[in-house]
Amino acid sequence: MNTSVKDTMESTFAGWTETVGNAMLEGEARMSTRNTDVFYGDKQAIFGVDLDIGKNEVLAMIGPSGCGKSTFLRTLNRMNDTIDICKIKGEILLDGENIYDKNMDVVSLRARVGMVFQKPNPFPKSIYDNVAYGPRIHGLVSRRAELDEVVETALRKASIWDEVKDRLDQPATGLSGGQQQRLCIARTIAVSPEVILMDEPCSALDPIATARIEELIAELSENYTIAIVTHSMQQAARVSTRTAYFHLGRLIEVGSTDKIFTAPDHKLTEDYITGRFG
Amino acid sequence: MTDQNLNAIERMAMVKQERMAAKLGKRYAKEKRFQAYGIVSIVIGLSFLAMLLGTIFTAGFSTFYATEIRLTVTYDQELLGVADMNDESQLAFANWGALVKNALAERFPDVSGRSARRQLNSLVSSVAEYDLKDRLEAHPELLGTTEEIWLMADDEIDALMKKQIDRDAPESERRLNDFQISLVDSLIESGELKTAFNTTFFTNGDSREPEQAGIRGAMIGSFFTLLVTLVLSFPIGVSAAIYLEEFAPKNRFTEIIEVNINNLAAVPSIVFGLLGLAVFINVFHLPRSAPVVGGLVLTLMTLPTIIISSRSAIKAVPPSIREAALGLGASRVQMVLHHVLPLAMPGMLTGTIIGMAQALGETAPLLMIGMVAFIADVPGTPLDPSTVLPVQIFLWSDLPERAFVAKTSGAIMVLLGFLAIMNLFAVFLRRKFEQRW
Amino acid sequence: MTSSSLFLLLVLIVAVSYFFGRKRSEVVAQSVGGIRHLHSLPNYYGLMAAVWAGVPGLVILSLWVAFETTVMQGIVFSGLPDHLKTLTGPQVNLFWSEVYNLRSGAISAPSDPALLDAMAHITTLEQQSKIGKAVMVIALSVLGGGIGWSLIRPTQKARNQFEVVLRTLLMLSSMIAIFTTVGILFSVLFESVRFFREVPITEFMFGTKWSPQVAINAEVAGSSGAFGAVPLFVGTLMIASIALIIAVPIGLMTAVYLVEYASRRVRNIIKPLLEVLAGIPTVVYGFFAALTMAPQLKTFFEDVGVNGVSSESALAAGLVMGIMIIPFVSSLADDVINAVPNSLRDGSYGLGATRSETIKQVVFPAALPGIVGGVLLAASRAIGETMIVVMAAGLAANLTANPLEAVTTVTVQIATLLVGDQEFDSAKTLSAFALGLMLFFTTLLLNIVALAVVKRFREQYD
Repeated sequence: MNTSVKDTMESTFAGWTETVGNAMLEGEARMSTRNTDVFYGDKQAIFGVDLDIGKNEVLAMIGPSGCGKSTFLRTLNRMNDTIDICKIKGEILLDGENIYDKNMDVVSLRARVGMVFQKPNPFPKSIYDNVAYGPRIHGLVSRRAELDEVVETALRKASIWDEVKDRLDQPATGLSGGQQQRLCIARTIAVSPEVILMDEPCSALDPIATARIEELIAELSENYTIAIVTHSMQQAARVSTRTAYFHLGRLIEVGSTDKIFTAPDHKLTEDYITGRFG
Repeated sequence: MTDQNLNAIERMAMVKQERMAAKLGKRYAKEKRFQAYGIVSIVIGLSFLAMLLGTIFTAGFSTFYATEIRLTVTYDQELLGVADMNDESQLAFANWGALVKNALAERFPDVSGRSARRQLNSLVSSVAEYDLKDRLEAHPELLGTTEEIWLMADDEIDALMKKQIDRDAPESERRLNDFQISLVDSLIESGELKTAFNTTFFTNGDSREPEQAGIRGAMIGSFFTLLVTLVLSFPIGVSAAIYLEEFAPKNRFTEIIEVNINNLAAVPSIVFGLLGLAVFINVFHLPRSAPVVGGLVLTLMTLPTIIISSRSAIKAVPPSIREAALGLGASRVQMVLHHVLPLAMPGMLTGTIIGMAQALGETAPLLMIGMVAFIADVPGTPLDPSTVLPVQIFLWSDLPERAFVAKTSGAIMVLLGFLAIMNLFAVFLRRKFEQRW
Repeated sequence: MTSSSLFLLLVLIVAVSYFFGRKRSEVVAQSVGGIRHLHSLPNYYGLMAAVWAGVPGLVILSLWVAFETTVMQGIVFSGLPDHLKTLTGPQVNLFWSEVYNLRSGAISAPSDPALLDAMAHITTLEQQSKIGKAVMVIALSVLGGGIGWSLIRPTQKARNQFEVVLRTLLMLSSMIAIFTTVGILFSVLFESVRFFREVPITEFMFGTKWSPQVAINAEVAGSSGAFGAVPLFVGTLMIASIALIIAVPIGLMTAVYLVEYASRRVRNIIKPLLEVLAGIPTVVYGFFAALTMAPQLKTFFEDVGVNGVSSESALAAGLVMGIMIIPFVSSLADDVINAVPNSLRDGSYGLGATRSETIKQVVFPAALPGIVGGVLLAASRAIGETMIVVMAAGLAANLTANPLEAVTTVTVQIATLLVGDQEFDSAKTLSAFALGLMLFFTTLLLNIVALAVVKRFREQYD
């Protein structure tokens, strides 16, 4: 990193010294990052983030666009591996294991840390095959009946079963946007991950579909650890238990959602929450 | 949500680790194999390319040099039977061959007997005597004098020098006998035999004799054909592209034109040959075998390429520039001519060069319109009968003489050379004028 | 005056008209208070005058050149004695070549005294035509230039008029594509209809014996030739199939590797090299197939104990053709695979799929319509490819399923039937056009379907 560039960036953080709030948890964390830097070529996108994601909590990550929250999310299941120029420094632990360790198998990792994307991206296959895709490639089921059950359970958990149970063999691309996104969630659940990462899962959906997904997130939080990136502060307030505020690649403040939205400690967080920028 | 259903995923989760681990090795092996298929495919493609070029270059390289023999030739007036150097018919019927034979006899005075003399005479190419004729016509004052001159060796001697004939093979299996080889060896020893750059290949037209056959006729024919193609297809192609991108209304008629262009781009080239034969030759009575007809046919064939690439060049000009011009009160025509066209020109030129390269390599349609005849003369105008480089390659590839294999490969090397230059120029244009908006 | 010098004169008249038109616009501008008060710039008045001078003359000149021979020969022919009027087809061609040879002195004694009359007649007509052409063209262009000149006045909307002319020219250029298609259709249809008058279409489409060569000697009894094209269709399909079997997997895997696996550096090296393969003229592939591939295959099969391999086997031609099509398939597949949105790949990777699983189970199904379209285009190319098969496949119309035997194809037959002297009413020559018709329609169908499929695929992901 070019020092002069870094200096100018630093200067925009006149008030920032280190993350405010309880970024590290007292108890056992499902995932934790320690001093994590992310680079795209020469450009640094994430600066020394330390953050824990607790078991069965919903962590919302908010911040103005370009603040690095999506990039950070994608490092949590090594989705950035597909980008040649992307380099990661520091540690990211899943149940105490470093996921960037060379002994860590990325395929198995992603079966443990699933991901739901911004735009619904069902495969050009039938509804059934979309959900069955994960269990099949990983060889998680041995019999067809077992697979049927897994597919049904996943679809039920994603509360889309009633809408699609009669047309499981039809192409998934024929579903509405909201249904597609719930199908994608079902697809993720079907491999029984420990953590689900959601990258602005409602940004392409209408308000009604969004409401259904939000309900679903609340239900899922009973069994899964969820980290969600969102553009909408209201959504973060509705679905999350804890909120992290990112700004220009730095984690500015972390705290319980209530506190962040009512009494943030940091000036930048406050400015963002109150709509001075963003 | 029933308990039983909840359990399906939970039950699966319990065995997840071991089942995944069990399959992981196989999955990664498959992954490796799949990637290997890709590499193998690329290797097959590239090794074929190497094989093709390798075969042709090794076979064709020898075409670019030729064996020559130094003889002391006396331009004997009596022997020739030429009294008046200005009389064309006397020159035409003069006994030029006798000069060569005499010179050979003087060089090897010991050789006697009919068959031995015939073998001696076969050292020099049977067409070398015409070189003497040309020399004397250019310098009439040489008549009656003696000079040393390098003459082209026979193609069998040439083959021996290029190691295409095995000296160590038994005499009966060789195309040259021991006696001929001994003559050659004595010439080599005295420095009267050399290999030199084969200018004949580039200065002569076609010939039945491999050592005399050259590609000049075909190169000029290709040049005229491409010239006609370029002069017609560039303006028409660019005009059509401008019309379709800037002026054409979006209606059924325009759609038909577009479908037509896309289809023509994929119509087999030989069909264009049928069109040329039926329309240009049978209806319009244009001359057969002429570059002008070839150019017309290739124009129709390359137009789709040029139109399609010109259109994408025009599309790449950002709308903001158009709006700026129109905003200043320019008419649509002025906007196109003054702003869009200059910006799109490099892209259009690149497409045209690529189209021309295609046209240069095209053979099949030209067979249909008679450019396949044996033509020894170098064409002087686009209306003269002629052939083109790829057709010349086709013609030579069919001939039985071994020496023509090398000639064909040599001609291919020249053709590929031209194509490489054209494509490199297109790449250069693209790099130089590429603009990011 | 020859046509080309007439053309040069026409260009000169056009240039003069431009000059005077421009001048005049400046002169008429004086009366209304200067050039500022003209409707258009002086340049456009000059251009309009040039258009008036050039267009009519050029149209007449090109029509005249295109049709003068046909018209003159028709006139001479109608004045011939009755026994010559009945000549048909090749006899007419022979008649004219004898007449022209007579005139050039290549023949000294005519076979029929009427030929001398015909020679004199056509020579007179040619001279008249020459004079008529020159007078017409010059008169028209001078007259046109004059009209254009006299039309010039300050209110003339010269720029708008010129732009209309220019647009019309542009439109005519784009319509050449239609003319070409129509020209192809007519040239193959017209002769094909004549062919099908002599040979029933059912025999052509379903007959299994093809031997057009014997048809030359009409005198020999029972040698009307056999025009059953089935062996050609089978041969074409066999060679094209071999080519596709080679090209489709290799081309597809090449594209997959380059898009999904290769680093940018590797891609930048390999793609241009493959483009070299695409840029090599087909005649070079043909030479290689005939000279290197075929003998090597023959030796190889004899080494493994298979005898009777033809030196012009379908396999050799198909193999080399397949290699030729690889870059074509791979560049089409490259486009199509690139068009599959990355979000689908992300979805699959996010579930823990490996690259190959993602490609096989997500990218391929998504790209399938585009790949099918590409394969159809490749098939159309393989079917229409001429030089490789002319040089490496045989002429013998064997009806066989053995790729080690020699077969012939539609394009080979078209090329051989039409190279050399043609007689335009023998079934032998006409059959080439019937084959051309088949070829044109087959490839047209493949292209239309392929382009439509690819277009729909693109719309799906745009």
